[in-house]
Amino acid sequence: MTLWRLPLLIAGLLIAAPACAAGAEPAARAALVEKLCGNAGQMGEAAAALSTLAASGTPEEIGWAAPLARAALDKTLACDDTGAVLAATGTDAVTRAPRAPAPDARTPVLSLKNRAVFEQADAALALRSAADPATRTAALATLERRPAALPEGLLEAAAQGETDPGLRTRIETLAQTAALNAADPAARIRAIGRIAEHPSRRALTQVEALAKDPAYAADPAFRQAVDAGLATIRRGIALGDALATLYNGLSFASILFMAAIGLAIIFGLMGVINLAQGELIMIGAYVTWLVQQGLRQAAPALLDWYLVLAIPVAFLVTAGIGIALEALLLRHLYRRPLMSLLATWAVSLFLVNTVRVVFGTQNLQFETPFYVSGGVPVIGDFIFTWNRMFAILFAAVTLLVTWATVRKTPLGLNIRAVTQNRDMAACIGIPTRRVDMMAFGLGSGLAGLAGLALSPIYSVNPQMGQNFIIDSFMVVVLGGVGTIAGTVVAALGIGQINVLIEPLWGAVAAKVIVLLMIIAFLQWRPEGLFAVKGRRK
Amino acid sequence: MSLTALLVDGLTVRFGSFHAIDDLSLAIDYGEVRAVIGPNGAGKTTLLDVISGITRPKQGRVLFDGREDITGRSEAAIARAGIRRKFQKPSVFEGLTVRQHIAIGAGTGFRRGPEGPALEDRIGEVLETVGLADQAGRLAGELGHGQKQWLEIGMVLASDPRVLMLDEPVAGLTDEETARTAALVRALNRPDRAIVVVEHDMDFVERIADKVTVLHEGRTLFEGPMDKVRADAGVVDVYLGR
Amino acid sequence: MTRWTADRPFLAVLALLLATAAALPLLAGTPLEMSRYLANAIGQLAAFAVLALSLDLIWGYLGILSLGHGLFFALGGYVVAMYLLKHSFEVTGTVPDFLQFMGWKDFPFYWAGFGAFPYALAVAVVLTTLVAGLFGYVSFRSRVGGVYFAIITQALVYVAMLLMFRNDTGFGGNNGMTGFSVMFGWPMGTSGMITGLAVASLLVLALVLAGCRWLVGSRFGALMLATRDDETRLRTLGYETLRLKLAVWCLSALIAMVAGMLYVPQVGIINPRLLSPELSLEIAVWVAIGGRGHLVGAVVGALLVNAIKFWLSFAAPEVWPFILSGLIVLVVLVFPNGLIDLARLRLVRPMGPRRLAADVGEARP
Repeated sequence: MTLWRLPLLIAGLLIAAPACAAGAEPAARAALVEKLCGNAGQMGEAAAALSTLAASGTPEEIGWAAPLARAALDKTLACDDTGAVLAATGTDAVTRAPRAPAPDARTPVLSLKNRAVFEQADAALALRSAADPATRTAALATLERRPAALPEGLLEAAAQGETDPGLRTRIETLAQTAALNAADPAARIRAIGRIAEHPSRRALTQVEALAKDPAYAADPAFRQAVDAGLATIRRGIALGDALATLYNGLSFASILFMAAIGLAIIFGLMGVINLAQGELIMIGAYVTWLVQQGLRQAAPALLDWYLVLAIPVAFLVTAGIGIALEALLLRHLYRRPLMSLLATWAVSLFLVNTVRVVFGTQNLQFETPFYVSGGVPVIGDFIFTWNRMFAILFAAVTLLVTWATVRKTPLGLNIRAVTQNRDMAACIGIPTRRVDMMAFGLGSGLAGLAGLALSPIYSVNPQMGQNFIIDSFMVVVLGGVGTIAGTVVAALGIGQINVLIEPLWGAVAAKVIVLLMIIAFLQWRPEGLFAVKGRRK
Repeated sequence: MSLTALLVDGLTVRFGSFHAIDDLSLAIDYGEVRAVIGPNGAGKTTLLDVISGITRPKQGRVLFDGREDITGRSEAAIARAGIRRKFQKPSVFEGLTVRQHIAIGAGTGFRRGPEGPALEDRIGEVLETVGLADQAGRLAGELGHGQKQWLEIGMVLASDPRVLMLDEPVAGLTDEETARTAALVRALNRPDRAIVVVEHDMDFVERIADKVTVLHEGRTLFEGPMDKVRADAGVVDVYLGR
Repeated sequence: MTRWTADRPFLAVLALLLATAAALPLLAGTPLEMSRYLANAIGQLAAFAVLALSLDLIWGYLGILSLGHGLFFALGGYVVAMYLLKHSFEVTGTVPDFLQFMGWKDFPFYWAGFGAFPYALAVAVVLTTLVAGLFGYVSFRSRVGGVYFAIITQALVYVAMLLMFRNDTGFGGNNGMTGFSVMFGWPMGTSGMITGLAVASLLVLALVLAGCRWLVGSRFGALMLATRDDETRLRTLGYETLRLKLAVWCLSALIAMVAGMLYVPQVGIINPRLLSPELSLEIAVWVAIGGRGHLVGAVVGALLVNAIKFWLSFAAPEVWPFILSGLIVLVVLVFPNGLIDLARLRLVRPMGPRRLAADVGEARP
């Protein structure tokens, strides 16, 4: 191409573009086909026209244009004096009437440069017209290679027509990138604004890259837009991270609460710390797994609901173990809390090793029902995940039910009476031993429910109880003996502190700091947060 | 030496929202046996708890020997100052012998008290006083209820305290044991010692007390000799009355 | 408390320990010579018995149950392991595995001086006293006791375990420390060394047993029992029980530390599993089985339980946890005073219902 023809070429493009946009006219279609059969420069123009059609054409036009790009790439376009023939279908390129090519027809050859342009045009057309999502996905992958060269409006139009949600998200992301790299500065600034509306780490990387763009140094308006966008995104990410931390802390606190509330009730009532509480959590998780396996065999249609169906089973099994433990062992260790501690440890040893022998030591595999999978992206990188929400809601319901049981039922009244003054309660006819047994069952059942609630989040194996028991102790020590409010506050506090410290100094440091804080706290309030003061005996 | 052994001044103790003791003031002199009586929850034991340092008051102070402010000191420091107390529930060391109890009581903290023959003399003397001389070698856990009460009195007596506080010394004792205890308390009365007795048993109080303080809802309802107590309308109303 | 000259079980066990200590080297070279394995096992058992004594001192005589005594045991163990590795390095030039594993060229700076045993010992004593003293002071000052104290000590040892599991601490991390080749200039693993360590452990055990026996029989021992039975009562008699508890607690921690220093050279390895809550709980079980509040009981309990464990670790290791939980249940339900109850079934009953000090309950609720 010689230099003097350049203005001509540009002029030709300017003429061709409106002609192609109005591509319904047969003359325009013929002109396009002619260019396809022309020299390298004309072929490039034809490809650009095809791309523009993909962006702004009607479905009919796109349908007409799509085979052309394909044919050019596949070398199945036969050019002759009257135009061109699509060899694959044996139809005229302009009218799509069946005809055979002239004997002296030739196939245009794509230059390396044009090949890329045609690939893009082909992909753009396929993205808008292909019926098969896989083809569209492949087309999108091609487009993602050179986002800057895409015709404006293509991706927006494609996103609007896209039915597959995953693909649509990808198209939208690409649209942002394309807009950020568009030639028009105003479009770029608008794109920055749009990206900043949905802050995430990826958005940050995208916009941060613009700071290295030459326009950043040259154009003050652009620089301002980039800086403002970055600030918004960083704020959003920080907020998202804070929310995510709170959310994770809340879900950890929920598990802690469920593990500790049973401990706290039993401790308040009998002065006994149940070292097997962690193992009851483990049993709860195993029962949940067994329910899942049972449903798989007996009623696969209900498999998704195993987490709900396992609730009564997990509660009853662990409550039964707790009642047996109380009736067979602890009852005989009345007012010997330290020996009770050892006795419950014996039970814990027994349970861990029995489960190990029966089920093995590997982690259990749980199905993920639809109601605990995925989540809603909120802001920044914070995703409101349903599995954690499940645990939080579960703990909230457990809290309500426990509170109602302790406050509103005859058993709860008896538990409170015996907790406050065992001898007096016995004097007025409360069957203290029965109350002990029922309360132990309640506390153990709650541990089983904790095991159920954590099974979609944490790994389930025979040793898992260890991970929760020490933190649960700390909740009980911090919260004070046998108060629900204290347990809630302490669980929230320890859960949040753990999660807050972990990203800074690691999980071990979090545990160390929590322990030191609790020891320090005991200097100030030895009876815990919510202990009722009274005359010391 | 001041005439007043214990001066309680504007004392207030609260457990949550409950006023166990409410702006209480009283003075106990050397040489007197003071009985503190009142219905359950009147604040009798709490008063002893504050004096012996187990409970911290919210307001007010306790002066020992007329000038020494002992409020907020540790239990051990208060005990070493010469104020000893027997608890409501017999509190003895079940794994130790009777003799060991008295020896511990005779000591003043880790700084050694009497030793060798002096200690032996003291132990013998105290055991004789509380009538446990023939039980010296037995473990406290094996003693009967009354013997435990006397053992605890002996233990607090061993250091020859200036203020002796007895919380329900005859609860659960037989009439004969009660009579012996009354005689013991009278015998312990000395010009340089104040004795405070918290008790429900009116006959016992009548036998030992020089003066009676009646507590009601954490305040002093009446203070005076026993015969006047029985005549006081207010006291009859809340305590003796029907 | 009977005078020590009349305490027959104490004298019998003491004599047995000393006799075994004498027999080990005397029988060497004769047909009756013990196998290296047996001698080593006896030495390890003796270290465990020292550990049991340390716990019995505070649990049986002071009423304070620690479920974190593994901390002091491991502290002694880690310090002696540091000495052994540094000393071995100085003598043979062997670079410890964990340094190679971490890719470190040299020992971390805080390993300086550990090649000298007196320095290592001093560090162990100071550290143990500091840790135990500080923790004991804040706990006892705020009157944390009973079950609270037990679970807080358990949390303490658990946290220490998590710390030592980290590989970047410079103490071997997850894999621990092993490969001790030289001790006091002599090669390790020889019959002589094994016998020597076993004899040393037996002698230390005898010494600690006698020392504890003297302590609990003294006036101070009476105050310990008084603290156990009714601490408030003792305080209101003028005794600052905080000081007493702190002193005994630190002493107990130091004894546990010594046990760790005896144990690690004999077992040849230390890793964070020594800090697992299970080991600390097991110590309490030895004492409970032997008879809480009886020094001889603690020794016999530790020897017996660990002998069974040693034997089962060959015969049927998976059965051990079940045996252990069965033993615990048996001892808490049927024989609350452990083997003492068993012994008394035959020995004491004919003499009439003599109650022993430990029959009384735990600290009041």
